[in-house]
Amino acid sequence: MKPILITGTGVVSAIGLGKAETLSALLENRSGVGPLVYLKTEHKEFPVGEVKMTDAEMAERLGIPKGAVTTRTALMGMLALGEALEDAALTPDMLPKVGFISGTTVGGMDMSEQFYLDYVNGEAHSEYISVHDCGSCSEMTANHFGKFAFATTLSTACSSAANAIILGANMIRCGEADIVVVGGSECITKFHLNGFNSLMILDTEPCRPFDATRHGLNLGEGAAYLVLESEESAKRRGVKAQAVLSGYGNACDAFHQTASSPDGEGAYRAMKEALQVAGLQTSDIDYINAHGTGTPNNDASESQAMKRLFGENVPPMSSTKPFTGHTTSASGSIEAVFCIMALQHGFLPVNLNWSQPMEDGVIPVSQPTQKELRHVLCNAFGFGGNDSSLLLSKLEM
Amino acid sequence: MENKDLYVLSAKQVSIQQPLDESWMQDPITYAEPYVRSIDPSFKDYVSPIEARRMGKILKRALATSKEAIKASGLESVDAIVTGTGYGCIENTEFFLDALSNEGEQLLKPTYFMQSTHNTISSLVAIQTKNHGYNATYAHKGISFDSALQDAWMQFRLGKINSALVGGHDEMTPTFYKILRKGGVMGLDDEMCGEAAVSVVLGRQSEGALCRLTGFKMLHQPSMNSLMDSVTTMLQTVGKSLSDIDYVLTGISGNHQSDSDYLSECKTLFGGKTLLKFKHLFGESFTASGIGFYVAAQCLKAGFVPASLFVDQERITDKRPSCILLYNHSDGKNCSLTLLEA
Repeated sequence: MKPILITGTGVVSAIGLGKAETLSALLENRSGVGPLVYLKTEHKEFPVGEVKMTDAEMAERLGIPKGAVTTRTALMGMLALGEALEDAALTPDMLPKVGFISGTTVGGMDMSEQFYLDYVNGEAHSEYISVHDCGSCSEMTANHFGKFAFATTLSTACSSAANAIILGANMIRCGEADIVVVGGSECITKFHLNGFNSLMILDTEPCRPFDATRHGLNLGEGAAYLVLESEESAKRRGVKAQAVLSGYGNACDAFHQTASSPDGEGAYRAMKEALQVAGLQTSDIDYINAHGTGTPNNDASESQAMKRLFGENVPPMSSTKPFTGHTTSASGSIEAVFCIMALQHGFLPVNLNWSQPMEDGVIPVSQPTQKELRHVLCNAFGFGGNDSSLLLSKLEM
Repeated sequence: MENKDLYVLSAKQVSIQQPLDESWMQDPITYAEPYVRSIDPSFKDYVSPIEARRMGKILKRALATSKEAIKASGLESVDAIVTGTGYGCIENTEFFLDALSNEGEQLLKPTYFMQSTHNTISSLVAIQTKNHGYNATYAHKGISFDSALQDAWMQFRLGKINSALVGGHDEMTPTFYKILRKGGVMGLDDEMCGEAAVSVVLGRQSEGALCRLTGFKMLHQPSMNSLMDSVTTMLQTVGKSLSDIDYVLTGISGNHQSDSDYLSECKTLFGGKTLLKFKHLFGESFTASGIGFYVAAQCLKAGFVPASLFVDQERITDKRPSCILLYNHSDGKNCSLTLLEA
């Protein structure tokens, strides 16, 4: 397969604004999950991983005038996209040759849920109606920096950003573009906090993925973008690659709208395909960043999928969701950035809050570990069984 | 890279025209109202009554068009399911927002939430057809279907798949229609809005196919020059020039600004080509471009263009179409070009 280089990354989540803060939190096992501060909701009982800024503070940092129509998802997206573009030395004049693919599901729901009754009955806040949808959110994010060649939006729930990365890679392999910025953004909303609560999959304690006592997930929010680039283009521009996207897989569990199958069929197929695309063996994988939400169902299903694929030799594995909460649509790209950091700095991110092995489960990394890594898998699974897996590799010198 | 021909094996719709057939080609239904809901087929052939009770309309329509399209394609199953939907399952979203706004945060039931995400459609089709293949959903305004088409088209070229179900689905409740007009999103001027569900199957075999898909390109806020370059490159790639195009299918809809942009852009891009429209029969929605794809494919198969589709009544001709270019400029920002050939 034609190598897909990653020449820039940007990230914002509960553990920090930008890569430097993020890396130090990961290395120092500092979680960003805590009591709810920014979202206006009655459900104060749930710990969450919020980005530690108000919308107004983000807008100010981005130089967006007061009163401009924005959404939290778009604002977080801009913070991460700005870092990724700068990291890859992409300036506004170059954007007309660069594609933009973002993943989100809530889009502008943070505003719609506040103003819904006005939309239906009144006239106030009608300027927010046109930014309700996912596509508008992506365009708002992209247009803050210039005119991209094309823009589109993946919406496969919690695997949206991972699928945006896959589409970008296919576009480069097809020769449709040399550079595509891919990723996702998602803020916490009352809509999905209540939705997840009605499904009884939120934990009132900090989440404990792959632990016997796990009892649900903590919601998180954030954004991350990766600059994917063809080898020729990176060479021509003289930019260095941080890592290589060497494989990826997408499969459907085709089991249930909100639950994963007991044998993890979709997850198994997605990881297997990622290995096949990369031409690698299971023994080549040094680390798996699991989807690991902390719900009894996901972690049992994902454990089965890993055992089916890797047998007795499941590589070191962890879920980083106890750091950030479950950042839903953005999790695929946020965790891909964590994996790139792990490859670059040679460490295994810790599965925080873990103490007791679950029945028939996989035991995660629970202690800080320095380790030279060459190939890592990064899983992102969504409602409806939209399962994707990315294979990220160290650049071969 | 695979250069084998790619065929449109089948295309099915549920819309404000008669569902699951092409009677609109002979007897189009015309409406005086600016907004109408789809004419639904009986869903009992596609979903059991017990399951249907819990499903929103968008899901039932998606099952009907998907299952009919797969049946008509002659394939047992497809390698990929890719869906475009601008707003997703908006009826269930509305129910949940309504409860959240009126009843507060303590008594919410999961039913509506479970079927409110955009990817509910694509995954439901996968669950019902037991399909573990590639599955993705695009939600990007008026190019949602186009994005899904592009995804499938690239995977064919990369040799990753040999067949795909590509869908476009949007529903519009009365409340949502009102909100969209208020927000200036659609339904302005003389623009009629309509719900739309369309499913097409793409594959490698020519037997029984409606037409070939030979080119696709998507652009964001393009300049006239870059649009022109894209048209030229697309045609050159398949060894064609502008003179080989018989008709250009536009998204002229009754929105004054958008229509005048279409007319002037088409004049610059395509010279004196005969322009066609379809939104006056099917209505505007974020899935309209999917209906456009269906309309063009059916015209190529039928070997004629119904008189009702001509923008300029004086240009009506019975010339057999062999090459139709679809030009979608959506909201004036997102453009797509699709080339279909007999």
